[in-house]
Amino acid sequence: MTRGERRQLMWGLFFIAPSLIGFTVFMVIPIVLSFYYSLCEYPILGSPAFVGLANYAELFLRDERFWTSIRVTIVYTVIAVPMGIVAAFLLSLLLNMKVKGLAFYRTIFFLPSIVPIVASSVLWIWVFNVDYGILNSLIRGFFNNPLMIAIGLGPIKTVPGWLASEQWALPALMFMSLWGVGGTMVLYLAGLQDVPVHLYEAAEIDGASAFRKVWHVTVPMMSPVIFFTFVMGLIGTFQYFTQAYIMTSGGPSNSTLFYALYLYQNAFENYKLGYASAMAWILFVIILAVTLFVFRTTGRYIYYEGK
Amino acid sequence: MNTRPTSWTASLKGFFVTEDESFRVIPAVIVVAAILIGTFVFTGYFAESDPGQRTVVTLWHPWGGEAGIDFRKLVDRYNNEIQDEVYIKSLYVPNNLSANQKFFLSVKIESPPDVIFVDGPQVAEWAERGVLQELDAYLEAAGIGEDDYWGPCWRQNHYKGHTYALTYCADPNFAFAWNKAVFREVGLDPERPPRTIDELDRMSRFITKTDPQTNAFVRIGDIPWAVYGGANTLFTWGWAWGGSFYNEETRTITAHHPRVVQALSWLVNRAREFDVYSGERLVTKGVERVSGLQQSFGSGEQNPFYMGRIAMMPIHITVLRDIDKYAPDLDFGLTFLPAPDDGEFQSSWIGGWCVAVPRHALKPADGFDFIRWMCATPEGSQLAASSTGSFPGYKVSPAYEEAERDPRKRVFLEILRETRHQRPVMPAQAYFMGELDESVDDAMRLKLEPEAALRRASERTQKELDKIFHSAPLVAVEADRS
Repeated sequence: MTRGERRQLMWGLFFIAPSLIGFTVFMVIPIVLSFYYSLCEYPILGSPAFVGLANYAELFLRDERFWTSIRVTIVYTVIAVPMGIVAAFLLSLLLNMKVKGLAFYRTIFFLPSIVPIVASSVLWIWVFNVDYGILNSLIRGFFNNPLMIAIGLGPIKTVPGWLASEQWALPALMFMSLWGVGGTMVLYLAGLQDVPVHLYEAAEIDGASAFRKVWHVTVPMMSPVIFFTFVMGLIGTFQYFTQAYIMTSGGPSNSTLFYALYLYQNAFENYKLGYASAMAWILFVIILAVTLFVFRTTGRYIYYEGK
Repeated sequence: MNTRPTSWTASLKGFFVTEDESFRVIPAVIVVAAILIGTFVFTGYFAESDPGQRTVVTLWHPWGGEAGIDFRKLVDRYNNEIQDEVYIKSLYVPNNLSANQKFFLSVKIESPPDVIFVDGPQVAEWAERGVLQELDAYLEAAGIGEDDYWGPCWRQNHYKGHTYALTYCADPNFAFAWNKAVFREVGLDPERPPRTIDELDRMSRFITKTDPQTNAFVRIGDIPWAVYGGANTLFTWGWAWGGSFYNEETRTITAHHPRVVQALSWLVNRAREFDVYSGERLVTKGVERVSGLQQSFGSGEQNPFYMGRIAMMPIHITVLRDIDKYAPDLDFGLTFLPAPDDGEFQSSWIGGWCVAVPRHALKPADGFDFIRWMCATPEGSQLAASSTGSFPGYKVSPAYEEAERDPRKRVFLEILRETRHQRPVMPAQAYFMGELDESVDDAMRLKLEPEAALRRASERTQKELDKIFHSAPLVAVEADRS
C-alpha cells in the first residue's frame, strides 16, 4: 500500500466511521447482548441474573401461549404469503395489458400499500365491523337478494364475526393483507417488462394458449422475482406485529397472538426481558432455518437468465 | 475516482480546498457547525419560561386532552400562589398497566422525575420492583395517617408495612345506571331499578329486542360481561357475589373462589341466551353476536347508553361529565349495583390514580410537599377532584359538599362511603389482570369451563407471584439501602 493509498483508506474509514460506529453500537452489541440476556432472568430493573437455559426450557416445555403464538404465525404465513404472491402476480398480469387508463389503474392498486399500517389497520377495523361494516353489508346484500333466495342459498341469518370471532379473526387479517399487495405487484410489473417478447412470439408460433404462455414463459422468466418476494414475504410475516397489536391485541382468545406480539408483551408488559430475548433468538433460528430450507428446495426451480 | 470540483467550489479553491482535492473538510465542518449552533439556538428559543431562582421539581402525569388543561390549572395554582421556592415542572408522560418502560428506565438510570402518577393497582407492583420510595417519614412529619383517607384508598398504597403513595382520585366503581325512558317505553316502572341479579336478568330479557329479519340487536337490556374489560368485570361481579381474589396473609391467588366461579358462570349463561342455533348446531355464540353489536358502539353522542340501545350498565363516575356534555337531556337513574340474594349488596371497589415519589428522585422532599398539597389539603384535593371529575381519596375536602348538592354525584358519594374493596395489593397485578381478561374471554367463548379458566388464572399468576417473592431483591433497592 502506498502512502497515498493509506491516506485514502484512512479518509475512507473516517467518513464511514459514523455508520460503522452506529452499526456496532446499535446493532452488533445489542445482538450479542440479547443472546446473553436470553440466558438470564432480566426484569427491566435490576441486573440480569444468569439462569442458563431456563428461559428456553420454560418456553418449550411449559408455555402454552408460546406454542399458540407459533401456531398462529405459521398458519398465517403458510396461507397469507402464497395468497399474496398469487394475487400480486395476477394483478400485475392484468395491469400489464395495453388498455386505456393503465397508469390510473396501476396507481389505484398501488395506493393502499403506501397508506401507513396504523391508519389502514384502524380503517379495516371498520370494514370488519360485524353489523355495520362494509364487508358484511356486501355479504348480506349478496346472499339476501331474490336470486340467491330463489336458488336456496339465501337469506342468511349469520355473517362472519371477523375480528370479534376467534374463528374469523385470523382469516380476517389474511384477507386484509391482500389489500397491501401493491408493493409486490410493482416488483412483478417491473419483472414483466424484462420478459423477452421473442419468447412469446415463439410460443405463439408453436400454438400455445394464453395460459400456456403464462405458465411456460412468464412464470419461469419471473421466477427470480417471485422467489425474492416469497423469501421477503416469509421473513416479513414471521415478524407480523402492527396490525395484530392495533386491531386485536392478540384476541379474541389468543386467536391472533402472533409470535412478535407475544414477544413484545413479555418484554414490555410483563418486563421479562430475558424471556423475550430467548424468544427473539428462537425466532431468528426459525427464520434462518425456513429461509435456508426454501433456498435449498426451491432454488433449483429458479431460472436465472444471466447464468 | 474523479471528483471534479464544480464551478462554485472551484472558485473557492485555495481557500477551502485542502491539498488533496477529493476532500473538502472545511466546508463540511462549517455546515455541521451551523446545524449544531442552529439547533442549540432554537431549542433555547422554545424552552419553557424561566422558573427563576426556584428549585425545579419535575412531575410526570397521565392527563392528556381536556383533563390535561385542568391539571395544568392545579399546577399553576401551586406554582403561583401556594409557595415561592419550588417550581413544579409538569410533563405529560402517560403510563398504564402495560406501558411503564419509560418510567422504569428513568429510575434504572437514576434520573427519574421527582413526582410520578401511578395507577392504584400498580402501587404494590412498583413498590416491590423498587421504583418507589417509602413515604412513611414524610407522612408522619406531615401528620397524615390512615384515618384521613377512605379505607380502600389508604390500603391500596400500603404494602409490606410501608406507604408508597397517596390517593389522588377515588373512583367508586361502579354506579348502576338505568335509562328511565327505555323503562317507560317497554312498560317497566322507571323508578324501580333491579336490586337483585334475578330482577336484572328478568328486566334485561324484557328490554332486549332483535330485528327478526337480520337477527341484529335493536336494543339490549344490559351486557354484564363488558364492565370496563374482562378483569374489571370479574372484580365487579366477583365481589358482588361475595367472592375474593387474593389472600394477603398467605399470599395466595384465589381467583377460582367458588363465588367468583358462580359470577363468571352467570355471565356465561347470560351470553348463551343469545346463542344462535341451526338445528342442533351452534352457529354463532351469543358473546360474538353481542360483540358485533359492541363494535358499532360509538363515543360521545353515539354512546349506546345515551341512545337507549343499552338500557342498563355499570358506569364510572367520569361518565357523568360525558353525559352533561353529550346527552344533557338523558333521563336516567343511578343506584348501587344489584347483587344475588346471598351476595354482597351495595358492593363496589376503588379505582383511580395515586401519586408517589420515585426512588432516586433528586428532590423527594419538595416532591412530597406537592403531593401533600394535592392529596391531603382541602384546597388541593378540591382542585384535584374538579380536574378529574371524581372524588379525592382525602376524607376532609370541600369536594364532598359540592357533590352533596349534585343529585347524581351524591349517589356516587354514597357508594364511595360504602366501598369495601380495592384490587389485590400485590405485585404481578398487571399480569393477574391480563390472566383474568383471558379467563373471562375463554369462558365466555366456551373454550373452558368457568372453573377451569379461573383456576388457570390463579395457577399462572401464583407462579409469577412466587417468583417475585422468592427472587433476590432488585439491585436498585439494595443500592439505595446500603
